[in-house]
This record gives sequence, C-alpha cells and structure tokens, in this order.
Amino acid sequence: MADLAGPSTHVSVRRTLAYWNRELQTLHSPILRYGFSVVSVAVATGVALAFQRFDLHAVELPVLTVAIALTTWYSGIGPSIVAVVLSALCFDFFFTEPFYSFAISAQDLPYFFIFVLWAAVVASFSTVRRRIETSLRATRDALQLEVEERKVREEQVRKLNRVLEIRARDLEAANKELESFSYSVSHDLRAPLRHVVGYSELLQKQAASSLDDKSNRYIRTILESAKKMGNLIDDLLAFSRIGRAETRKTVLDLRQMVREVVAEITQEAKGREIHWRIGDLPLCFGDRAMLRLVVVNLLSNAVKFTRTRSPAKIEIGCASQTENEIEMFVRDNGAGFDMRYVDKLFGVFQRLHLPEQFEGTGIGLASVQRIVHRHGGTVRAEGAVEQGATFYFTLPTAKEPAQ
Amino acid sequence: MNPDPSMTSLGRILIVEDDPNDVELTLTALADYNMANEVVVTRDGQQALDYLYCEGEFADRGKENPAVMLLDLKLPKIGGLEVLQKIKSDDRLKTIPVVVLTSSNEEKDVMRSYSLGVNAYVVKPVDFHEFVNAVKELGAFWAIINEPPPGSAKK
Repeated sequence: MADLAGPSTHVSVRRTLAYWNRELQTLHSPILRYGFSVVSVAVATGVALAFQRFDLHAVELPVLTVAIALTTWYSGIGPSIVAVVLSALCFDFFFTEPFYSFAISAQDLPYFFIFVLWAAVVASFSTVRRRIETSLRATRDALQLEVEERKVREEQVRKLNRVLEIRARDLEAANKELESFSYSVSHDLRAPLRHVVGYSELLQKQAASSLDDKSNRYIRTILESAKKMGNLIDDLLAFSRIGRAETRKTVLDLRQMVREVVAEITQEAKGREIHWRIGDLPLCFGDRAMLRLVVVNLLSNAVKFTRTRSPAKIEIGCASQTENEIEMFVRDNGAGFDMRYVDKLFGVFQRLHLPEQFEGTGIGLASVQRIVHRHGGTVRAEGAVEQGATFYFTLPTAKEPAQ
Repeated sequence: MNPDPSMTSLGRILIVEDDPNDVELTLTALADYNMANEVVVTRDGQQALDYLYCEGEFADRGKENPAVMLLDLKLPKIGGLEVLQKIKSDDRLKTIPVVVLTSSNEEKDVMRSYSLGVNAYVVKPVDFHEFVNAVKELGAFWAIINEPPPGSAKK
C-alpha cells in the first residue's frame, strides 16, 4: 500500500500545483495583475522588516527578488516593471541609510544600482522563461490534439480494415462457390449432353434407312443443337477459367506473337485474299498464354467479319505509347457494327449479328476484355456498319517489372 | 489401320464409370472395334477397389490385374482421385496403367491426377464420333499395342 500511496500523493500534489499555476496564469484583469504586483512587494517588504526586527539583516534583497520573480511569472511584463520600481523604492526607503528616506548616500549608491540591475535581470529572465513555457504549452496542446486526431484516424483505419477483411472473406467464399459451380457445370452439364449426342448418333446409324427425310432432319437438328450447347459450355468454362487462373507475367514480344498467330490463321483461311499489315509493336509485360488468346480472338474476329470483302484488309499496330502503357489496335474493313451497340460488344454471349451471317458464341470479346482487365488495361472499339471496325486495348509496358 | 484383335492378345479393360449411359456408349464404342469381349465394369470407387483387391463380390476372381483401367473422376462413395491414390501407393497395383476418362478438363484435376501418377488423362469429347474414336484409340493402345506389366489378365 505504501508503495502505491507515495507516487499517488506525489501525483496529486503536482496536479494541484499545476491547477493553481494555470489559474493564476489566466489573470487577465489589469487591476488584479497590478494589485498582485503591489501586494507581493508589500508582503516582501513586510517580511524583510519582520526579519530586521529579529536582527536578521540582508534578507531584503532575496525576498524582494522573489516578489519580482513571482510578479513577472504570474502577472506579466507591465506589473513586473511596477514591482521593480516599487522594490527599488522600498529598498531605498527601508533598507539603505539614511533609513526612512528616499535619499541615497553616495556610499550606498553602487548597492542600490546593483539591486535595480539584479531586479531587472530577474524580471527579464522570468519573462523569457514565461514566454518559452507558453510556447511549449501551445506546442504540447497541438501535439495532444494531433495524438487525439491520430487515434481517431487509427480507429477509422481499423474499422475500414475490418470491413475489408469481411469483404475479402465474402469474396473468397463467392469465388469458391463460383469455382465449385463451374466445376459441376463442367462435369454434370456435359455428361447428359454427351448422351444426347451419342444416342442421337446411334439412332441415326440404326434407323437412318427406315426414317423419312423429315425425321432424319430432326435428328440432325438435335445433334447440331447439342453440339452447339457443348461449344457454349466449353466457351463459358474457358471464360470462367480466365478469371480464376493465376497470371504468369513475363516480358513479351507482341510483334513475334502477332506474326505467329497471323501465320496460323492464314493457314485456316486458305483461299481468301487477306492483306495483313503489321506495324511496329513494342515489348509488353503480361501472361503469354492469355495475351495470345487476346490476339487470336481479335485477329480471328477480323478474319471472320471480313469474309465478304475481297481483299480483306487487316491492320495491327501501336496506337499510342506512354511510359507505363501501350495501346494496340486491330483494324479491319469488314462488316463493322453500329456504335449504338458498342456497350454490348464486350458482354458475355452478346452478339450483334445473326448466327446465319457470322457464326460464334459471343465469348471472344468478353474474354479479350477480361484478360486485358486482368492486366490492368482497358479495351474499346470503334466502328460503323459495313465500314469496318477497330479494336483498341492497352497493356503495361515491359518497363513495369523493373520498377 | 485398326489392329486386328484376333491376331494379338487382348488385355482386360476395367472401366470405372457410374453413369449407365456412359457405360453403354463406351461399350458400344469398344464393340464397334471388337474390343468389348474382356471388359469389366464397376460402378463406383468402392466396387473398383473391391475388384482390384479381390474382395467382396469379386473375392473369387482370378488374381490378375487388368491390362488398363479407365477411371472416371466423379464417382459415388470413393472418388476417382482417391481410387487413383490408393492404386498408385499399393506395390501390387501401381503397375496397372490408369487412364482417367472424365468430363472435367479443369487444370486442378489434371494436375492432381498426374501428380498421383496417372498414365494418361483423356477428356470425354461431347461429339460422339470423337468419343468413339477416343475410346477406340484408348482400347487399341492400352489393351493391344501396349505391353502390359507381367501378371495382367489376357484373353
């Protein structure tokens, strides 16, 4: 208990002192401040006189100095000057010969001057100290305010973090759910489809000769539709895999990649006249397999939608380049599209043409957009009906990994 | 080009497949090429393991291993990956060539199967012709062309 009592009394005394210190420092009324000055000098003189009565001399100097110091401390500069003057007068009147007169003997003159000088020095030191303390206090208050603000901010950050954590968990759960969803799609949806196709083919084989043309056409339609659904499911799964797969980014030579893809596509589009123009393509930074898919999708789209043109003109180039980003474009002179529907262009399963005109599932551009987004880039398109289309996409430059 | 089964010894094929339609389509595909003679069908992972360990309903079968095993991944009771793990960690069974024949082309499944030591991984094509071709080629390769490990059942 004693251990505890010690520091706690100490603290309470310090608190009380600090309280009164503050209270007195807030003396603003001039009457009180100058009054304090007069009273403290009077009390000091009284005390010195009382000591003199008991034959204790030379007390007046320190006592008056203390009075001046206290006045400066609590009442400010004006009262301190008053205190210095009053103390000098009292010193002269009561404590220097001839006593009880303001006259000063030549012998005491140096003492008197030393006292006045001393009083002035004490007063100025006190003033300086007071000023420093005031500025320190102001700094401390500012710091305290800052600490409090920081606490508030920290609390906000903590709160935000908690929200983020919860959201991350939700997202993770949603992602898991999506994964198991697409997994079961891949397994369970394809099995019955395979059976539809398989048994229709068996039926066709078994009964083709005994069925009339109409029935045979029905079976063919069943087969075609089932196969189309198979393609849709495969595309959808591939699309969902793009969103989930980890990207393995390296520095890539786009020009080389475009040339490879062009060679591949030209092989498939034999017999068609296509004029390719491959501009200067810079190095970029990304996942090879994914970006190859972007190039394949955009170029095969260009080939597909220029089917009615002879010659078809397809141009690949770099539209603009900044320090961190390059923008590539693929331009064709094909069927184009109406700019009114540009927003639909990159949607999953969104198509702007009839299946009889141009085949496809409507997943290609959605994949392009998803891959480019995963690389931190953007996609956009420009076009006009029967005037061709231009697709733009941005990618980070090869410099990025070095940073 | 089709190898003539009558000229060579035909290995026994163990099919692990829960879906009766898939079983029928697979058997049909094999029958098209006269390879359905020595095919054992089990319908779930437990039954497949019973067959391999000669337990339960297969207690009194001959002790030979099949020349190849066509394994689906999504199976009732014991899943295909677990069956694969059991086989590949068993000294007597791990020599059996195992071909995963599944609808799943998820990278996860492919990676897991190979890391467990699968001998081949085939995704069932939706198109029937492709499916028939895949099964035919699998049967031809594993049951006829490939020389199975000693102790495998031959016709």
